[in-house]
Amino acid sequence: MPSKRFDQAKPFVVLGIVVLTWILIPVAVKSFLRAGFYELQAPIQVTASYARDLQEYWAERTHSNKELMEAGRELRHVYAGYEFQAQQVEALRAEIARLEQLLRLPSNPHYRFEPARVAQRDFSGWWQKLVIRKGANYGIPAGAPVVYSGGVVGRVRAVHAYTADVDFVTSPSVRLAATIENDSRPVSYQGGDNPPLAPARGIVEFVPPDIFTSAKDPKRLVTSGLGGMFPPGLTIGYITRLEASTDGLFKSGEVALDPRLSELTEVTVLVPLNPE
Amino acid sequence: MSVIETYKPQRPRLLFFHFLIGGMVLVLAAGLAYRQLLRAGAYGERERLQNQRRVLVPGPRGNIYDRHGRLLVGNRSRFAVTLYLDELRREFRTEYIETVRHYRESEAEGDIARSDRPSPGQLEQIARAHVVQRYLDQINRLLGRDEKVDLRELNRHFQQQLLLPYILLDDLKPEEFARLIERLPVESPLQVYTSSIRFYPYGSAAAHTLGYIGTSEEISVEDLPGEDLKTYSFKGTVGRDGLELRFDSLLQGKTGGAIYRVDPAGFRVNEPKEKRAPVQGHNLYTSLDIDLQLAAERQMQEIGDFKGAAVALDVRTGEVLVLASKPGYDLNAFSPRLSAAAAEDINAREAWTNRAIGGVYPPGSTFKLVTTLAGLRSGRLTSDATPADCDGTMRIGGRTFYCDNGRGHHGIIALREAIAQSCDIFFYTCGLQIGPDLIAAEARRFHLDQPTGIDLPHEVRRMLIADPEWKKRTTGDPWFAGDTANMAIGQGFMGVTPLGMACFVASLARGETTTKPTLVHDPERLPQHTEPIGLAPGQYAAILDGMEGCTTRGTAKILATNFLRIPGLRVAGKTGTAQVGPQNAIINIAWFVCFAPIDDPQIAVAVAIEGDTPGESFGGGRYAAPVTQAVLKTWFEKSQHAGASAARLTAN
Repeated sequence: MPSKRFDQAKPFVVLGIVVLTWILIPVAVKSFLRAGFYELQAPIQVTASYARDLQEYWAERTHSNKELMEAGRELRHVYAGYEFQAQQVEALRAEIARLEQLLRLPSNPHYRFEPARVAQRDFSGWWQKLVIRKGANYGIPAGAPVVYSGGVVGRVRAVHAYTADVDFVTSPSVRLAATIENDSRPVSYQGGDNPPLAPARGIVEFVPPDIFTSAKDPKRLVTSGLGGMFPPGLTIGYITRLEASTDGLFKSGEVALDPRLSELTEVTVLVPLNPE
Repeated sequence: MSVIETYKPQRPRLLFFHFLIGGMVLVLAAGLAYRQLLRAGAYGERERLQNQRRVLVPGPRGNIYDRHGRLLVGNRSRFAVTLYLDELRREFRTEYIETVRHYRESEAEGDIARSDRPSPGQLEQIARAHVVQRYLDQINRLLGRDEKVDLRELNRHFQQQLLLPYILLDDLKPEEFARLIERLPVESPLQVYTSSIRFYPYGSAAAHTLGYIGTSEEISVEDLPGEDLKTYSFKGTVGRDGLELRFDSLLQGKTGGAIYRVDPAGFRVNEPKEKRAPVQGHNLYTSLDIDLQLAAERQMQEIGDFKGAAVALDVRTGEVLVLASKPGYDLNAFSPRLSAAAAEDINAREAWTNRAIGGVYPPGSTFKLVTTLAGLRSGRLTSDATPADCDGTMRIGGRTFYCDNGRGHHGIIALREAIAQSCDIFFYTCGLQIGPDLIAAEARRFHLDQPTGIDLPHEVRRMLIADPEWKKRTTGDPWFAGDTANMAIGQGFMGVTPLGMACFVASLARGETTTKPTLVHDPERLPQHTEPIGLAPGQYAAILDGMEGCTTRGTAKILATNFLRIPGLRVAGKTGTAQVGPQNAIINIAWFVCFAPIDDPQIAVAVAIEGDTPGESFGGGRYAAPVTQAVLKTWFEKSQHAGASAARLTAN
């Protein structure tokens, strides 16, 4: 009888021993194990991402020559547009450099642009994140801003050897100092509570009471540059609704984010050249 | 036979114990029932009082606007970075252990003696300060500052206001606010906290009228539960002067707050049980017109560094358009609190007094209008009579009285010209004919001896219209003919406020006797109608002629010069110069009262400017009339503009 009772209790004893062992393990070992787990897991995510790229490649190969020629023609048009814009950018850069020299202004802080493929998009959790296929191996630091052609993507939260986790701009853990276009007063943007498959939204707070907006005439919310992390002028989203707070000091409201954020395959990390 | 079969439950010796145990169980059950059923409410209440705390947040005050909806007093956001100490309990404990260990090691190494070791309470304070300084250093790094924790303030906050956020840095600049918003993790115990302070877009404009606020430990709470709980409260505000004081209950915001559960040490547990956002107080729309107010104050500044007051009223409704007092003070200096140096400066300049309602001056020659009214109504003066031949002096009761406004002789002069030229000899003569009692009664008919009842605190009550009976009662001396002569020209035992004179001239403009001033704007307010002035049309016209003559060819003819003339506006006015102070240091008070337009009176103005040099010539035409002109010019331009806009709208 007693041996039978012990057999029944064995799983609990083992569980107790495991829990006790985990509690007694030093914090440094735990951190090492956690980091090791991430690093062990990372190749799987990266491999899956490469497999998806390969799948897309072979899917592209199934297109007919005619389709490819049409796509090539469209690309040529787009390329021509970009070439023109690139020339304009060069001219503007030269003008900025001339003005900086003329006014003896220090140059704006510069970033190194590090394009990275998205290995994983995780919108299921309370916080929403991306995993990108570059990490410490490309010198990406924690906290670096991540952008795409439509504006802000988020901020690097954790850097691993070959990957990095990016807190998505939709996540409530991301808060940015923003300004409303054509207004210099800083406001606060924070990711909202975004359930999966719903349009992504954020929250804007500390909006001065004299700002008005509506869904028909939304106001563009951009990074302020005052926070010292993001350069100014990057689009965060559009303010579609504002409500005055009961204390009459500020307004707060909703920010509609770009639907393309949920389909990102490629982003750019802005790596500060002169980190503080 | 088994053991069970031999058991006999009815063994009599055990019966006693059965009852005993049963009884004890009953006692226990009764005790349990008493505690759980009868005393449950009381225990629940004690538990509630012990583990719940209430935090109160005062609502921002309402805004104050001028009659056209322009913000005069508002609220400005104020950013601070705060630390929620109640979220740091574990860190405080860990730091305490570290601190104790550090001291023990120091003792072991002989660095400090055991007697030098701080008490456990002091060690706790040191540990707390270390933790808070670490967080402050985080802020210092982000903002490039070098701030240190105030240990005494930290301990006071910890002991008395643990549930309230501890303010590490106050009044952040917008850039600092933005930087912290972006750099501080969302879940950090460090957070950016916003509060409101009063903001005055026009600085010192109408400072005495608008008033200022002070902080208050007590804040009013309406229908927020938990009044019996231990309560922590942010400081509230209370009106201390001006409209802020008079309409304090209207402007006060509705207090918000939250009820938190706390652990035995007072640290917060979980989210609040109940929460209510503070609500801004009601807005106040004053009757002031900030354009006119600024015009008056600017002109008062331009004429020199004099003390004085200017009041303008809407003749029809009694709404106050301008209530200016100099010297003033910048209301923004009171936000968030007035510094000792600024208070000392205001004291030194004697700027606390609102001279429009608190300055009591003899009315000087502006009082001649009252004398005229008394004479005309009593029949002892007619509009065409020429009772005097002004040769510059007049002997009354053995004393020589002079005509201060003659610069020679007015000669034989009638009422219209006497008002226009402000001939003292004419009014000495009239005053002696009318008598002091009738003149005093006329002044009282216009309530010049009483406060106006304007909706402002601290309006003086010591205005004075003397008569023989008053002099006898107060000084024991008889009333002399010289007293009557003085009285007739607004000198001697007389004291009125600029607001009182503005009300008088507004009443005169309407042909009535009473104007009740108000600072609250009501677009639907009906014109005031009070006791008629009691003059025949011809008599009334004579007074108006004289007052218009004053501004065109008389003592205020400066208003007819190209520099000050307002084309298209006919103004009825009266200057005055009164003397105050001891014989060897007489100071002049320059007065000017008027209303306009003459044919449809809409605005009445009274200005009093105090001279600052004894014996200096200080006439109302030179010093007070230009202030009035600035107000009238602004008013007239606005009226023309509004009229043109209305005409355009009608045409469209």
